[in-house]
Amino acid sequence: MQIQNKYKLKNKLYIFAIGIVLSWACIAFLIYPNINLLITTFFQDGGFTLEPFEKLMSSERAMRSLWNSFILAVALVITVNLVGLFLVFIMGYFEIKGMKFLRFGYYSTLIYGGIVLVAGYQFIYGDVGIITNLLLSIFPNMNPNWFEGFWAVLFVMTFSSTSNYVIFLLNALLKVDYQTIEAARNMGATNFQIIRKVILPVLKPTIFALTILQFIGGLGAFAAPQIVGGEFKTITPMILTFSGIVSSRDLAALLAIFLGLASMILLAIMTKVESKGNYMSVSKVKTNLVKQQINNRFANIIVHMMAYVLFVLYTLPVVLIFLFSFTDSKAITTGKLTWDSFTLENYMTVFTDASAYQPFLVSIIYSALTAVIVVGLILYIARLIQKYNNKWTAMLEYILHIPWMLPSVLLAMGLIITYSVPNTMMFHKVLTGTLGILLIGYIIVQLPFVLRMLKASFYSIDTSLEEAAKNLGASNLRTFFKVLLPIILPSALALVALTFNSTLDEYNLSMFLSHPFYQPLGITIQNSTSPESLQDTRALTFVYTVLLMVISSIVLYLVYGRGTKAGK
Amino acid sequence: MKKSWLLIVVLVFSLVLTACGGKQESSQGAGKDKSLVVYTNSASDGRGDWLKEKAAEQGFDIKIVEAGGGDIRNKLIAEKANPIADVVYGLNEMNYIALKNEDVLEPFTPVWANEVEEGTSDSEGYYHSLVKQAILLIYNSDLYTQETTASDWPELWENKAFHGLYEVPTNLGGDTTRTVIASILVRYQDPNGKLGISDKGWKEIKKFFDNGTPATEATPFYANLANGTTPFGQMFSSGIQQREQEYGVKAGIVSPEIGVPYVTEQIAVVKGTKKKEGAEEFINWFGSAKVQAEWAKAFNSMPTNLEAAKSANPEVKTLHESVKKQDMDWEFITENIDAWIEKITLEIQ
Repeated sequence: MQIQNKYKLKNKLYIFAIGIVLSWACIAFLIYPNINLLITTFFQDGGFTLEPFEKLMSSERAMRSLWNSFILAVALVITVNLVGLFLVFIMGYFEIKGMKFLRFGYYSTLIYGGIVLVAGYQFIYGDVGIITNLLLSIFPNMNPNWFEGFWAVLFVMTFSSTSNYVIFLLNALLKVDYQTIEAARNMGATNFQIIRKVILPVLKPTIFALTILQFIGGLGAFAAPQIVGGEFKTITPMILTFSGIVSSRDLAALLAIFLGLASMILLAIMTKVESKGNYMSVSKVKTNLVKQQINNRFANIIVHMMAYVLFVLYTLPVVLIFLFSFTDSKAITTGKLTWDSFTLENYMTVFTDASAYQPFLVSIIYSALTAVIVVGLILYIARLIQKYNNKWTAMLEYILHIPWMLPSVLLAMGLIITYSVPNTMMFHKVLTGTLGILLIGYIIVQLPFVLRMLKASFYSIDTSLEEAAKNLGASNLRTFFKVLLPIILPSALALVALTFNSTLDEYNLSMFLSHPFYQPLGITIQNSTSPESLQDTRALTFVYTVLLMVISSIVLYLVYGRGTKAGK
Repeated sequence: MKKSWLLIVVLVFSLVLTACGGKQESSQGAGKDKSLVVYTNSASDGRGDWLKEKAAEQGFDIKIVEAGGGDIRNKLIAEKANPIADVVYGLNEMNYIALKNEDVLEPFTPVWANEVEEGTSDSEGYYHSLVKQAILLIYNSDLYTQETTASDWPELWENKAFHGLYEVPTNLGGDTTRTVIASILVRYQDPNGKLGISDKGWKEIKKFFDNGTPATEATPFYANLANGTTPFGQMFSSGIQQREQEYGVKAGIVSPEIGVPYVTEQIAVVKGTKKKEGAEEFINWFGSAKVQAEWAKAFNSMPTNLEAAKSANPEVKTLHESVKKQDMDWEFITENIDAWIEKITLEIQ
């Protein structure tokens, strides 16, 4: 710290300027519009009452759904950590034959999600699914709807969330210094002891960050409970119903804030636990990880078998979605593939319109801008938080989590209500009807996720590297670009790709904030696949999913696939 | 050197702000600007492209923003301080009453106002009807006949033989679903009841949900209708033809004594538009008998314009002649439907 003394005055000015810009941005985009919305929501009948609380408390259905969401969130944290850690170790630590190929399967849920992903699982386990038919031929008396309820939801969600988990944890694993492993081995440690005492401590910050994300993902579960949940209902569908009804928005906001607060409490607990033990890789000259052979023959066979079974579990839904995108609605709902049902018609429908390419272009540009800006911004902010770590940065961190507290429909409403008239906060510029407001919306919703993941990356950096750079006379900027950035680059690039992919088909914000001349893809998809359109649009949903998969895969390859090589 | 970081941050924000600046130029003058932004829930299946093309022949440059009826309504209300849309068409009367009450619409009398079916447009001239749509209870006609089918919605839960055989909605946001729920509840209108509905009415709607099979997003209703899982359910009239072809099943239509709910799709000028004259000219053109007749032929709709109705497709005409219109107080429904949906979501569904 002393070394910074001479910069002090300059530094103060700079900090002051940054402080002003950040405060303005936080207030203008995160605090003010939402407070504005909450006021109009909760005070719509003139005064604040406890009525919405009472309504929810006395609704058995709401309380049960809320409880289910929490159960799911906790269960998901456990299962995703188990499956995720297993995958990370077979991908990055143990020698598994064919891993180069297998890993594409494990990453498959990075390129698709939502309703279609669950539909993919239904082709396998649903009442007309492949596995169900197989089981029925052996046990003719079994219930064809066996894949339903809590366990089905947990199963689908576990597999659909692990790709995300793996991508970040693998980055963390690659940071483990191999010398520490060798040293442990020389002292006679077993594989199990090495994993527990040497590797896991290094992974801990990332595991914590991912655990919070899984918890929030579980609380926000939507598609899986809707489709395979049966009687197991969660709270998000109810929140969405209520946010679409003006007079019920108070209920939606209340439920969302409650879920948000629960996530923040978990976050606070995690941060506390994290600060107790600071486990960093202590080596100065890091040696790259070398893959380990599993010595026990029996264990080796079991692990290989599990790796291949998991591969099949991950890959089958994607393959089936791809195949069914070339069929008609009837084939999709009966789950039967015949040669006659194959057609190119669905793809023709999507592309016959002369302006069909425009939404793709608009969404690609918006998503790219969102991804780059949000990751750039958070890189900077996460660095501020890590470097200064005082009450201001703590406050900043909490403010950046506000988007987790409200459903995106309400975030959009807040922005429209506040900035559809000239407002001092925005220098009297009207934002509605502009191109910028959608970008702002997209950026806002991505802030918490990107912040969590980048912060975890920063914490796994050995601080002595930074000190060494400074001692050698490198400026802050140089230290950042030459020393720190290369270390977190894989995670940052992964975040760029993931943010891009999740923005690509976003609907709620797009619907409310987009410019009438430049409407993004989410709107096109929603409209052409809505249940109220004249024709049945089941097949089109699949076509769009496949097209999105293609774009997402290309982006993942360009940004991440090549990025990791450069980053190493 | 740190300044360059500051520079980047400032640059990002100024970029965002300049991106925000590009709007106002197009809206100068209250003159006859024929480039219009049109909000609608009825542009899919080629309707939007058709409209753009035909309107272009008349010199209109139309940009269509499409979303579900409820979304469009909420968007218009949120934007009312500084509206983006010039015209809104296609939403049902429930939504238009809400828009009128929220002061989002501008009254205007189109040249064809007198040609449409009586009582389908707003009496004060805030919105005018284009097409009508029957919201039907349909059944799989391979499995049931006119004699064996349920004769009305209540029979589905009163007669045990139909339990579990009809689909009930899970997502209550859609306009078709809201209309069906309203059509059941208004039968039990009671000024002293909860939210204007008698206790019996609430019991009935509970039975409706308890004894039906909830819709899932995974399988569309028509697939379940065809394979017999749920041979009964709700459908809007213009959606039947396409689906019959697609699933190879003929739908039987239930025609209850009390009638079926009819929704009328409307058109209106958005209050605060900077292109009022252009918007009015567009409405005059689009709602005219000639254009509505072409629209009806192309998209199986049933115009409320009496002249245009003559050119509707024969199957459509037959369908509409076969059912009676249920008498429904839309003002009362609009006032209460949101609260009904909230109550059903919290306590019944």
